[in-house]
Amino acid sequence: MQASKYIPTLLDHLIWVILVVVFVFFVFQSPVFLTSTNITNILTAAAVLGILVVGQTFVLITGNFDLSSESTLGVTALFGMFLIVPATPPYWGGGIMLNPYLAIITILLTGALIGYVVGFLITVGKMNNFIVTLAMLLILRGLMMAFTQGKPISGLNFEPADVYFWLGHEALFEIPDVARIPLAVVATAAVFGVGHIILNHRRFGRELYAIGGNRNAAIASGIDADRRIRQVYVMSGVLAALAGWMLAGRVGSIQVNLGDGYIFTVMAAAVIGGISLQGGRGTMLGALGGVLLLSTIDRGLNLMRVSVFWVKVIQGLIIMLAMFIDAQRVRYRTPHAKASVPSAAETSNKTA
Amino acid sequence: MDDAVSTPVVDMVDIVKVFPGVRALDSVSFSVKSGQIHALLGKNGAGKSTLMHVLTGLYNPDSGSIRIRGTQYENLNTARAKEAGIALVAQHAKFVPGLSIAENVYSGMLPVGQFGFVDWKKMKRDASDRLGQFDIDIDVTRLMEETTVAERQMIEIARALFADASVIILDEPTAPLPKHDVAKLFEFVRRQRERGASFIYISHYLEEIFEVADHVTVMRNGTVAGSSPVKDITQPELIRLISGADVERYKREGSSIGGAVLEVKGLTRPGAYSEVNLTFHGGEVVGLTGLEGSGPGELARGLFGLETLGEGKVTLNSVPYRHGSPIAALQQGLAYLPRDRHGLGIIGIRSVRDNVSLSVLERLEPLFGLINSAKEKKLVQDYIDVLGIKTPSMSTAVENLSGGNQQKVVVAKLAATEPKMLILDEPTQGVDVQAKVELLRIVDDLSKRGVAVAVVSDELSELMDICDRIVVFYRGTIIREFRKDRDKITTAILLAAIEGETVETINAGV
Repeated sequence: MQASKYIPTLLDHLIWVILVVVFVFFVFQSPVFLTSTNITNILTAAAVLGILVVGQTFVLITGNFDLSSESTLGVTALFGMFLIVPATPPYWGGGIMLNPYLAIITILLTGALIGYVVGFLITVGKMNNFIVTLAMLLILRGLMMAFTQGKPISGLNFEPADVYFWLGHEALFEIPDVARIPLAVVATAAVFGVGHIILNHRRFGRELYAIGGNRNAAIASGIDADRRIRQVYVMSGVLAALAGWMLAGRVGSIQVNLGDGYIFTVMAAAVIGGISLQGGRGTMLGALGGVLLLSTIDRGLNLMRVSVFWVKVIQGLIIMLAMFIDAQRVRYRTPHAKASVPSAAETSNKTA
Repeated sequence: MDDAVSTPVVDMVDIVKVFPGVRALDSVSFSVKSGQIHALLGKNGAGKSTLMHVLTGLYNPDSGSIRIRGTQYENLNTARAKEAGIALVAQHAKFVPGLSIAENVYSGMLPVGQFGFVDWKKMKRDASDRLGQFDIDIDVTRLMEETTVAERQMIEIARALFADASVIILDEPTAPLPKHDVAKLFEFVRRQRERGASFIYISHYLEEIFEVADHVTVMRNGTVAGSSPVKDITQPELIRLISGADVERYKREGSSIGGAVLEVKGLTRPGAYSEVNLTFHGGEVVGLTGLEGSGPGELARGLFGLETLGEGKVTLNSVPYRHGSPIAALQQGLAYLPRDRHGLGIIGIRSVRDNVSLSVLERLEPLFGLINSAKEKKLVQDYIDVLGIKTPSMSTAVENLSGGNQQKVVVAKLAATEPKMLILDEPTQGVDVQAKVELLRIVDDLSKRGVAVAVVSDELSELMDICDRIVVFYRGTIIREFRKDRDKITTAILLAAIEGETVETINAGV
C-alpha cells in the first residue's frame, strides 16, 4: 500500500528516467552519438515535432483529438510556397509572387481557419472530434495532391524563398564545425515555454484541464467549454502552420507527402510524455520529454544502422508502450479500480 | 408467509465494506427466506446499493460471509452470483429496444435450426410458452420498444426466473410506473412468490411496503437500523427508523432576514413546474421539497441555466435576471451546488486548489494575465480552514477525498464566487453523518453573512433543523409553505403535504 502511493508520481515522471537510460544506451552504442552535431540533429528533428505536440497537447487536455494537424502542416507549407513563387517553369505556383512575409502571415491564418472550422463542427455541429479531424486529415491531404498533381516544388534559390525558409534553415548561433544552435530549436523551446505558462499560470489553461477532467462540472462552474474547445483547435491549427513553415525551410522543398504519418509520432510523444487521452491530465514539460525521447530513439537507431523497417516496428512498440503507461496511470489513480464502477454508483443520485 | 419455518436463500453475515473515508457497510447482516418478499429501505447513501452490489458480486466485501442457497461464497463475482441464482431487475430493464420481445427473451441463446440459421418459428412458440408460464400474455413479435415499462419489468423478472434465479432484486421498480401498472406488477410479483421465488424489494414508497412485502429491513449510515416482519411494524416506526431521529443534528439558532434577493413570479415550465411564486431574502434559508420530479430540483437547475427556465418573471436584487447559462448565473451572483456531485460538482482528477479557485480565476489574474499564485493559495487555504476540509494538501486530487470533503470543496468553489443567492441541491447526499452536520453549519454561516440560501432536499429532519421556511411542491406547484416562526412543523405534517395525495391515489387504484 505504501509503495503504490509513489507509483502515480513515478508514472508521471517516468519519461525523464527513460530518456536518460535510452540516451546513455546510445552513447555506448555509437561513438558519434555524443557529439555536438548529433545533439543538434536530434534537437532539429525534435523542433517540428515539438510544435505539433504543443498544439496537440492543448487539444488532448480538453479530452479531444486533433488528427488533422499533420495535413494542416502539409497544406500550409505548400500554400505558402504556392503564394511566393512565379507560375512559370521551373517553378510552379500561383504566379502572384506574394511578399514572403505576407505569405507567412497568410498561412498562419489559414491554419487558424482550419482549426476554427474543425472546432466549429465539433462544438456547434455536435460532431465526434475523432471523426471530424480524421475527415479533415483526408480532405486536406487530398486537396494537396489534387492541387499539385503529385509534383514537388523544389530547387528554390531565389530571395523570397530565403525569407520563407529562414525559420527552418538558419541558426541563431554558429561556430562552424564546433557548435550550432538552429533558430528552429530556439523557436520550439519558446513555444514550449509559452505553452507551459498558458497551461499552468493562465485561467485559460486551468479551464482546459477542468474541461478535460469533467466537462459538465466545468460548465457548471461557469466555463464556456465550447468556446475553449474552438480556441484550442485554432491554436493547434496555427501551430501546425508554424511547424509547416519551419519544416519547409528545413527540407528546402515541398513534397506532396510532407508531414504524412506524423500524427502517429505526435500522439505517441504526447502520450509517452504523460498527456492522458482521457483528458484533464498532463504537463507541457512531460510532452517535451516525450518529444525528446522519440527524437533520440529515432536518431540513435539511425546511427546504429537499424533498417527502416525495424524502425517502424520499434515505433509501433513504443506507441503500445505509451498506451500501456497511460492505462496504468488511470488504473493507479482511480480509487477502487477493481470493478470499473467507482463509488459514484453508491453516492451519486440515481435519478440524476 | 411464516418467516420462522422457511430456510434462508440468502444469508449475509457481518458484511463490511470500506471506501476511502466512508464505511459504506459496517457489519451488516441481511437474510432473505425462500418465498419471501423482503423490503430493503433507507435513504440514499444508507448502504442499500452497496449491499446489493456485494450480493450481485460487483463489490468484494472487506469482511463477512455470504451464503446463497446454503453454499458459502468466498470470492463472489457477477458471473458466480448469477449462477447462484441472484438476479437484479433495474428500474429501467436492460433490453435491446429494436428487437422483438421473443428475441430479447432469448438473448444470447437463440434456438438454432438446420444449417445454423435461427429457428424463428420455434423461438416465437417457445418464448410465448415460457412467458405464458408466468402468466404474461403478450404478442412476442412486438418490438421491445413498444412495450410499457411494467411489461418490460415483468418480462425481465420472467427471464431471470427461467434462467433459474431464486432471488430477484427489484430496485425501485415502481418509480417510473403509472398507478394502475403498479397494481399489476404487485399482483405478478405475489404470484411468483407463491411459486417459491424470493424478492428483495427496494423502494422509497412506504405505502407499497405494507401492500406487497412480508419482511422489512431498514438501513441507515451503513448499518441495519431495524428488521422486522411487516405485520409487526407501523409506518411512523418505519419513518423513524429511516430518518434516524436519534442521530446527531445541527440546529440553526436565530436569523436576521434582510431584503428580497431573488424574486420569482408566475414561473412556468411545462412538465416541470407551473405558476411558481417565491421570494428568497438575504440571510434566509428556504427549504424546497417534494417527491422526485415534483418541481424543486427542476426549478433549481432552471434558475442556474442547466435546464430551460420557462416563462415568468425573475428578478435578482430587483434587476431582471438573465437566465440560460451557468456563466450568466454566476456573473449575476447566483451559485448552485449540484445534486450529482460526481457528474457536475467536482473535477475528481484535479487538485483541491484547481477545484476551489476554478470559478474565480479571472479575479486572480491581475498581472499580465497570469494567475497570482500566492493569492490563489491563500484563497484556497482560507476555505480549507474555514470549511474544515480534511485533505493531505491542496494539491491532492479531489477524488481521493471522502464524500463529505468533496462536497465541501464544491461549497468552497461556490462560496469563493461570493454569491448573493446560493441554491444547494441535496447538499448532504452521500456524505457521512459528521460531514452532514458540518455542511449544515456552513450553510448556516453563509446565510448569516447575508447570502440568500435555498436548500432543495428530501431530508426532512435536516430541512426542519436549518430552514426558516419550508416550501412543499406537489406535481410542479407549491401546495404548502411552512414558516418556522409561525407554523408547527413535524415530519408527519411535512410528509402529509409531500405525499398526502399520493397515498390516496395509490389506495384508490388498488
